[in-house]
Amino acid sequence: MLEIIASSAEDARDGYDLQKAMKWFDLSPEDRDRTMQLGEISESVAEAIIEAFYEHLLSDPVAAQHFHGPDHVEKVKAGQLRYFRELISAELDDDYIADRRRIGGIHERTGVTPTLYIGAYAFYLNRLATIVLDRMKEEPDSAFPLLLSLFKFAHFDMALALETYVDTREETIRDRERELSELPTPVLQLRPGLLLIPVVGTLDSFRARALTVQLLEGIRAHRARAVVLDITGVAAVDSAVANHLIQTMSAARLMGVRSVLTGLSAEVAQSLVKVGVTAEKLQTAGDLESGIELADRLMAG
Amino acid sequence: MSSRVPILRQGDVLIASIQEELSDGDILDLQLRILEEVIRCRASGVIVDVSALDVLDSFGSRSLSDMAQAVRLRGSRLVIVGIQPDVAYSMVLLGVTLPDVATALDLDRGLALLEAG
Repeated sequence: MLEIIASSAEDARDGYDLQKAMKWFDLSPEDRDRTMQLGEISESVAEAIIEAFYEHLLSDPVAAQHFHGPDHVEKVKAGQLRYFRELISAELDDDYIADRRRIGGIHERTGVTPTLYIGAYAFYLNRLATIVLDRMKEEPDSAFPLLLSLFKFAHFDMALALETYVDTREETIRDRERELSELPTPVLQLRPGLLLIPVVGTLDSFRARALTVQLLEGIRAHRARAVVLDITGVAAVDSAVANHLIQTMSAARLMGVRSVLTGLSAEVAQSLVKVGVTAEKLQTAGDLESGIELADRLMAG
Repeated sequence: MSSRVPILRQGDVLIASIQEELSDGDILDLQLRILEEVIRCRASGVIVDVSALDVLDSFGSRSLSDMAQAVRLRGSRLVIVGIQPDVAYSMVLLGVTLPDVATALDLDRGLALLEAG
């Protein structure tokens, strides 16, 4: 049963299309060749730039909060040096993407804002570009394309990090929703043969499916004759959920059980009519009390 | 290989308990035999027990529905008992809700339903 539920709940996420992204950023292997030419210069100044960068970072009270003592700063600096070298020379492949996303994820979790992140990148690029232009001032025409290629990579990197930010936030939101929808829906036996299922909260399709399982298994476990499904605590029902409720009640009937839906708010009733659900398809009652009375009558015959 | 579902008689009720998945031919055979037995035994009701089945395809469900209609035309009533939770849900997903067929949770309930009239 759970398999049926899970397969219809699946939401596949697309993988990252490196080729497409590179095309969008106008990145080609030649760009990498060009930035590699910056290798010697950047290697010679990398540590100095990183020193300056951390001075800049630590001078900002907000940014400085992210560091816990000198040891931590040293450790992060070592990471930065690697990052810096990779920006110049790393192969653009799936590992690179995964690594960039991982780093983006770490920044997101530690609360580094996009402003801090992009600002930091701008600082790097400015320093490096200034030094490169200074060292190559004899041949500015060749320096410029090299820097343009570097900027492409930098933007590509930033985009990856921001994507990760967005993904992580979305993930968090989905987790919250999942937690909410996993709130248990109890199946209560009101008296022998009569089950009451009070539904409270948001009835999204995931939770509606879980409800189906609990209701149908509950019918078997309690040898129920009738079920009252009370949705007083549900604020909104869309057409997918409405159809799901109808399906659940039809499945209950196939098991030989009569079901009654109670507690439809005015809004829910109106939206049900709009999606074409009428009282003929659902056995409904105004409130829980009359729902139970109706269920009793149905049980009696 | 065909498997013949035994049709038992309990008072004036016929009970056919399907123990394993039936081929389309087996189902049609069962349908025919039930319709004959209904008259021969002057049965007031027929119970088809499917509690042992964990799958009921659309042909099977529709045949049961047809069987119920035909039994009614022969002056008796048919109750399907023991549809399992996941079978019930799969049937609904296939659009099979058997609106005109009586159902009950198990054999006991099915007999009670027939006795109640």
